[in-house]
Amino acid sequence: MKTFTHRSTFRLALLVAALGCLTITGCREAAEDAAFREFEEEFGSGGTTANTSTDGGDTSDTALNTITDEPVDFEFADLVKPFDPPPLEEIISLNEWADKPVLDAVELMRERQAGEQQLATPAEALALKNSSVANNNKIISAMGRLAQEGEVNYSAEWNRHTAGDIKSTNPLMISSTAEFDVAGLTNMGLFGFDWNFVPFASTDVVVSWQTSANGLYDKVVMRDDLRWSDGTVITAHDVAYSYQVIMTSSVPIPAVRSGTDQLKYVHAYDDHTVIFFHNESLATNVWNINFPVIPKHIYENTVPEDPTMAKSEAHVALDENPITGGAYQITKRVRGQEIVLKRRESYYIVDGKVVRRKPNFETIRFHIVENSSTALLALKKGDIEEMQLSPEQWQSQTSGEEFYKNNTKSYALEWVYYYFGWNNRSPFFRDVRVRQAMSYAFNHQELLDRHRFGLDEAAQGIFHKTSRWAPTTLPAPYTQDLDKAEDLLAAAGWEDSDNDGVLDNIVELDSDFDGKIDGKRRMRFEFTILVSNKQERIDICTLLQENLDQIGIRCNVKPVEFTTLQQLSRDHQFDAIFAGWGTGADPDTSENLWTTKAIDAGRNYGCYSSKIVDQLFEDGKRELDPEKRAAIYQKIHLQLWDDQPYTWLYFRNAYYGFNRSLRGYNYSARGPYNYGPGESTIFKPAGMR
Amino acid sequence: MTDNNQQPSGALTKATRSPGFWVLAWRRFRRRKLSMLALAVVMCLSGIAVFSPMIAGTKPIVCKYKGNLYFPCLAYFNADWENPIFHKDRFRKRYPRNLREKDPESWAIYPLVFQDPYRPVRDGEWQDKNGDGEWVDRPGNPYHGGLPSKLNFFGTYKRGVDVFASMVHGTRIALLVGFVSTGIAAFIGITLGAIAGYMGGAIDMVISRIIELVMCIPGIVLILALIAVIDKINIWIMMAILGLTSWTGMARLTRAEFLKLKQSEFVAAAQSIGAGPLRIMFRHILPNALAPVMVPIVFGIAAAIKVEAGLSLLGFGAPPPNPSWGTVLNAGTSNYTEWWQIVFPGIAIFITILAYNLIGEGVQEATDPRLADPKD
Repeated sequence: MKTFTHRSTFRLALLVAALGCLTITGCREAAEDAAFREFEEEFGSGGTTANTSTDGGDTSDTALNTITDEPVDFEFADLVKPFDPPPLEEIISLNEWADKPVLDAVELMRERQAGEQQLATPAEALALKNSSVANNNKIISAMGRLAQEGEVNYSAEWNRHTAGDIKSTNPLMISSTAEFDVAGLTNMGLFGFDWNFVPFASTDVVVSWQTSANGLYDKVVMRDDLRWSDGTVITAHDVAYSYQVIMTSSVPIPAVRSGTDQLKYVHAYDDHTVIFFHNESLATNVWNINFPVIPKHIYENTVPEDPTMAKSEAHVALDENPITGGAYQITKRVRGQEIVLKRRESYYIVDGKVVRRKPNFETIRFHIVENSSTALLALKKGDIEEMQLSPEQWQSQTSGEEFYKNNTKSYALEWVYYYFGWNNRSPFFRDVRVRQAMSYAFNHQELLDRHRFGLDEAAQGIFHKTSRWAPTTLPAPYTQDLDKAEDLLAAAGWEDSDNDGVLDNIVELDSDFDGKIDGKRRMRFEFTILVSNKQERIDICTLLQENLDQIGIRCNVKPVEFTTLQQLSRDHQFDAIFAGWGTGADPDTSENLWTTKAIDAGRNYGCYSSKIVDQLFEDGKRELDPEKRAAIYQKIHLQLWDDQPYTWLYFRNAYYGFNRSLRGYNYSARGPYNYGPGESTIFKPAGMR
Repeated sequence: MTDNNQQPSGALTKATRSPGFWVLAWRRFRRRKLSMLALAVVMCLSGIAVFSPMIAGTKPIVCKYKGNLYFPCLAYFNADWENPIFHKDRFRKRYPRNLREKDPESWAIYPLVFQDPYRPVRDGEWQDKNGDGEWVDRPGNPYHGGLPSKLNFFGTYKRGVDVFASMVHGTRIALLVGFVSTGIAAFIGITLGAIAGYMGGAIDMVISRIIELVMCIPGIVLILALIAVIDKINIWIMMAILGLTSWTGMARLTRAEFLKLKQSEFVAAAQSIGAGPLRIMFRHILPNALAPVMVPIVFGIAAAIKVEAGLSLLGFGAPPPNPSWGTVLNAGTSNYTEWWQIVFPGIAIFITILAYNLIGEGVQEATDPRLADPKD
């Protein structure tokens, strides 16, 4: 995800953002806080890129506006350093090559399930209420079974829910959850990763994938039976061209450039052979080569005229009717209402022969419903057939007959953690003892029991214990201890010296959060925590407020609209913030949350800076041995835990409601979609309504 | 005695002073049963607002601790009014047990309902004596789905916060918003309207354009914009903004009245004896011009309450955890099965606005000379 580089004075931008959000909220009055749900917790990046995900999916808003409003000089692929690719024979003969996996994700899942015991039949599972862990396991096991021969009803339609509309259908422009969901079905890419986040090339697209022994080249041979939806052959030139478009600075790419920009060059030697050149041998190279592909024969004419890829007549028409390479194509789009995808026959039938697996649905219809209460009613009625549930809905609104009549529900762990982030440039939270005191002051047990209904797990740092990057013995989670919190605060100099019931201390000021100290002053411990304007989140912040009030700290809770929250956090203009991060497929993706260089160029909103952590991330990138690499990230985990730049709160499970007619859904640590095979194994059995 | 004799006997009996305009208006107002009932409702709400910390709360109204008297409940008005001794002695805002444990000699009088508008009451915070005279823990508020019960009269919302306590304390915000924002609006509107109407000419021209300009600013949008940029938003800023954007109607009415009245004889008389323009405007004309302005003031209060509830409903109202009726209503909209979060604040908002509108209507009719009873 891009930081917002064309920053004029930030205050102006802030005001613009604030006014911008106003117009939005203004017209959505009736829809309550619906608009914000769109950006709920989710991902800044999904299936195709490997970035760490973000609390709110969408940063393109301001970034796009800022960039496009400035006059741009178009220079194609200006971010690529001049490079003359050597002849193919030379590269092949001078290097040793190792084969990398080319896999069929569906078969991979089939193999996994062959080794698992099926705990119940679908009929038994549908008779169950999901009221216990045992029942949840049975439902997941039974409903996740893949289709047997002849079981799939290929003429079925799947009505999906999405909380927000997509801004663009161009796969290079993806940044919000909804866009990733749609792109996952319509877009074609060379690579994927499984539920363990192990990367592979897909047999649907790739014949072979090899990496040179020195780690500087990746050679991919593509299949020759790939077709765009307009019938043109998909070639290696499309891949090389897409790389160059991504690397054109005047094209406002919100998310997919990060990672791709680590490549040295991408060159197509013929229609099917493409070589990815790397600057150095990194563990993250396998993720950097994974980017979406767009048709060269279409865009090579339109991009020079309109580098924004959104404004010209041709681009508007393309956005309406995109030429896609994936299994589905967009046939209808009603803004704010629905997006209709149809199975593309030319995807799996080429020259009259079936060359790929037939996609399971004839039609996939995304219903855009912003308000989650409305969406739940639609799910109960059967108008939509899947949706993510809030814990409150899971707990109290989906246990009755009216829900189970058409649906069932299941949940699984998702690596999305929530936290209170303390700004290290704030006069209050520069001292590690204060940050630890915050973690001791908060009533974690009540959070889990009362606010998370006892369903979510406490977060013990940046990696979940089931991740191979987490330390083998995790530090014990913080529990509330107000005495200890007060002792730590006293040690850091915070006491009530003026007898007003509120702690105070002489602190160094940095009023514009730029890292420069402007002076010293005695200050009351009174700060503001920012939170996006959603009741369940505000409630968690008010619990913090109550706990801190008990030990003489005033905490103001300030709910703000999502874009404003993004803007303020990017500019480090806050004392504290409540938010969450999803997981990237590779641990290196959290580099842009924790390293010093990410303060200005990444998403290190809280300005955490540690030489040790900076160095460890550098080492982790270069260490190719999986064991040693894991050890590095375990150290990072522990170092961050010691420094408590965040008070880690909980991992939010993925709670989903599915229509009874759906089968074949399985969860990864990123939820049921956006991994391999993800949504592609979901089907409706033949013989059902 | 002598004094009495000095009084001129049989002097002219003083004529009974004929009742003034406001006395007559009050008499007429009093005859309207509905308006009087509405006035009673508003008085009653004001009472609730003033005494809210004594009606519902978890801090003692008054307590004796280590030989001194304290009034911790005042902290509900201003958090800084809580005596620091309770912080020093690590009370941690939990009084009943701490008072008993830290000073067995202490005593305290608690509010009528032991519930907090800001937070859920936890298990064992309050203890009741059972039949055998033993202290037993009172259970805390339920985590969710808290139906109205004998501990939570109006149920709970937001993970266990008592709706009744929130609404009692919310009355303060509802009424304050009405009074303060309309007060600001009335002050600005009447002053500017008076100057424009009396001075006329270029001044009138400028002020009238300002009025038109302000009328173009939608108050809600301005509030939403300011919430985004102001770091520590509080209810006073909201009231000020509401006031600063809603004075135009009053200014126009005042101006019209002044334009009319400045032509009248009593103004000419005042001018002839050399009264200054300020004196004429505010001492002579204003009392006569006030009647038509009273009506939009009263309706303005109702409108301000409605706007605050609407903003809270959108999630932009009183900053958390300040309880306001709209906030409770907002919580109810995300969960339609918890009806009590919609019904009770809905009724409160409805009754309050209805009451103000009835009062406004009463004032309108009572001050309208055309509707005056000839008997008066």
